[in-house]
Amino acid sequence: MLISIKDLKKEFVNDEVVTKVLHGISFDIEKGDFISIMGPSGSGKSTLMHILGFLDKPSSGSYHFEGEDASKLEDDKLAEMRSEKIGFVFQAFNLLNRVSALENVMLPLIYTSKTKKERMEKAKHYLTEVGLEHRFGHTPNKLSGGEKQRVAIARALVNEPHIIFADEPTGNLDSKSGIQIMKILEDLNEKGHTIILVTHEKQTAEYAKRIIRLKDGLVVKDFVVNNRNIAKNGDELVK
Amino acid sequence: MIIEVKNLKKTYEGAVPTYALKKINFGVEKGEFIALMGRSGSGKSTLLHQLGLLDTPTAGEVIMNGINLMSLTEKQKSKFRLEKLGYVFQSYALLPELTALESVYLPLMLSNVSKKIYIKKATEMLKKVGLAERLHHLPKEMSGGEQQRVAIARALVNNPMILFADEPTANLDTESSKVILKLFRELNKEIGQTIIMVTHEPDDKKYVDRVIWLKDGAIEKE
Amino acid sequence: MNIKTAFFLAITSIKRGNKGTLAMTILIMTLAYVNLVFIASIFGGIVEAINKEAVDNQYSNIVIEPAIDEKYINNKDAIRQIETIPKIIGVSSHYIDNPIVKYDEHKDNKDVKSSRWILKSINPPDEKKVTKIHESIIEGSFLETTDRNQILIGKEIAGGYGGDLDHLSLGVSVGDEIDVFFNNGINRSYIVKGIFSTKSTQADQMLFITKKEMESILKVHNWASEILVKIEDTGNEDVYIEQIRELGLKKEDIKKWSDLMGFTSGASKSFTMISIILGVIGTVVAGVTIFIIIFVSVVNKRKQIGILKAIGMEEDTIILYFVIQALFYGVVGVVLGVSLILFVIRPFFISNPLDFPVGWVSLKVTFNIIKISNLSLIGAALIGGFFPAYRGAKESILKSIWG
Repeated sequence: MLISIKDLKKEFVNDEVVTKVLHGISFDIEKGDFISIMGPSGSGKSTLMHILGFLDKPSSGSYHFEGEDASKLEDDKLAEMRSEKIGFVFQAFNLLNRVSALENVMLPLIYTSKTKKERMEKAKHYLTEVGLEHRFGHTPNKLSGGEKQRVAIARALVNEPHIIFADEPTGNLDSKSGIQIMKILEDLNEKGHTIILVTHEKQTAEYAKRIIRLKDGLVVKDFVVNNRNIAKNGDELVK
Repeated sequence: MIIEVKNLKKTYEGAVPTYALKKINFGVEKGEFIALMGRSGSGKSTLLHQLGLLDTPTAGEVIMNGINLMSLTEKQKSKFRLEKLGYVFQSYALLPELTALESVYLPLMLSNVSKKIYIKKATEMLKKVGLAERLHHLPKEMSGGEQQRVAIARALVNNPMILFADEPTANLDTESSKVILKLFRELNKEIGQTIIMVTHEPDDKKYVDRVIWLKDGAIEKE
Repeated sequence: MNIKTAFFLAITSIKRGNKGTLAMTILIMTLAYVNLVFIASIFGGIVEAINKEAVDNQYSNIVIEPAIDEKYINNKDAIRQIETIPKIIGVSSHYIDNPIVKYDEHKDNKDVKSSRWILKSINPPDEKKVTKIHESIIEGSFLETTDRNQILIGKEIAGGYGGDLDHLSLGVSVGDEIDVFFNNGINRSYIVKGIFSTKSTQADQMLFITKKEMESILKVHNWASEILVKIEDTGNEDVYIEQIRELGLKKEDIKKWSDLMGFTSGASKSFTMISIILGVIGTVVAGVTIFIIIFVSVVNKRKQIGILKAIGMEEDTIILYFVIQALFYGVVGVVLGVSLILFVIRPFFISNPLDFPVGWVSLKVTFNIIKISNLSLIGAALIGGFFPAYRGAKESILKSIWG
């Protein structure tokens, strides 16, 4: 079991007003899963993702990551988890503009003890995985939106995280690039990567194999996707 | 002879060719005042144009002062026109933007004469034709007759060998016409200016030395 | 060819010709000239504005980056000594990170936003000498050396200022607290001390903390991820780069701002191309205008041309007569146009620059632009005047006079 959460709750206290954001979420994620967490604004999906990604702590309930109880982890261990076990892909790619795609992807590895050669090899490998083998030397200003997001994905992969969180990864892209990105994520999942996609778009969400729907801080639906209604190339990804 | 014309022909090509001049032969002595006369279409103006280097004959020769005009290049013709010939046209042909004085000294300027001299000579010439008060007037400020006199002054200012006049009085009233013809007569008598004039007025005969009659492109009688 | 006569006739023609036509022709020539210079200068101005923005807020004059194998520039002595090079106005060392930033806009743990942004650390007094970010604060204030848990953010991150990336922003205001998760795993919370807005979307996507703060996180001291250097005479960067190398920074990657302009140098190439195309079109229009004017003049003066030829003027002289007139229109157009540009239009735009998204744009009237515009207009006048004159002069005398 990669991730196991039980009765996860998140409360927020402000001036004696208690706001409950997550009312008790439970589910399991296996290695190799491709899950979409869907929900309208205010459903708590961002908070859930932040907790799972070690960017936040739950108020109560348990979060086990690879068998370890996250609440028992010290800050520096959490830091380690964040940098080594989790990969994030955001809506805004925000690459370093003056360095090449290759160097952008190599960046997270600087904190590891690998040699430059090893870092370069790894970066090239993942850039190739996302189909950018011809763009190693390009700086972000010479890349299209879709290509930049792919670099961001490769960067998220380079530390070989155990799980990838993708937060509205196609939100800043046109339909065609968006479809490309989703196909890449699909591809990566087929190769064994565990992916959690957070989105509010139905057609994007249906690239995953399982959809968890949140509403008002609770899971309202948790089902395996049967007829994948994914947009074929040429259709519009509904915005 | 100052002018020798031998077998001059001018044909205009076309669907139906026009034989404007059909083998003209005649001669002109220095100092002669000659009138070319004939009906409309007789070829008199055409003949004048050939003689005056304003056009090129189809065949034949025009020899002026020993020079065969047909052998000249365009540039040489220009020079010849400037230095040796003078023209007076039916419609005065003055440049509307030049004063009388400027019109008259123009040929001198073209001959690279110095400013002092060309102003002097032009002034004298205008005096000679009786236009001393019109030196700085533009053509639009002068009568037809005055304009024609400016044209004559311009034609003579370079001391041309021959003065050609193409219906010079056709646009003038009787009085002005008389003035012009008398002027020609004077120039001819006083300085021996050779003049060839085209006219259709029979009365003009009395001013000239010789009349050459043309009919259908050939000389009818002299 | 009789140059003197050609000039004489041209001058009297202009002097005594139709004043209305003369005025109109000169007006058109002047407008054509101003058009040529204006277009080229505006584009030059745009490029200059883009460059100025980049130099003022992103790159300064020179950017020193670590050697190819290194993560940092770690030659402390050399770094310290850069400032001693004469005519260097300032040196600012930065550390750079690409952290995740999380912000809870409504403080209700719902819709917590997170994203990755570029973070740089600065030493405020140094930074003020090198960039103009401290002059671009729209809310709050700039950092001070001792600030430890304060952060400065660009308007694209703050959101709500109408930036291009508003939809990706966090919705943060001065006084709010944001969480920053550095690449090495460490996380800290910072209070937003100030929000800045430059004209560069790239610059406005950055976060700034103090050097002291960053060094405590990265656990390094007096090193740098990049060093920006500002010099007195922009354009002369190469000289300074040499001197910097001599201090011992031999392997470091040193670039001048113009090398880093990437997208924008592509844009300025496009602008240059557009400006050239419009310039050519403008010149052709001016040439055609003169052509038409001279053509009409030649047609009107057909008879006169015949007469001039009859009295013995050479064709060349006649052509010159018209070409001189064309040249006159061209030269007067240039003189009036230059005066208009230098004494009226350019000063106007200097006091009232245009507010473009890329920066404040004035006319960049260079000597080159003036030179090329002069040549273009006069060339166009000569060519435009020559062809109808040539054709007119070549006509036979009889045709000219009698039709």
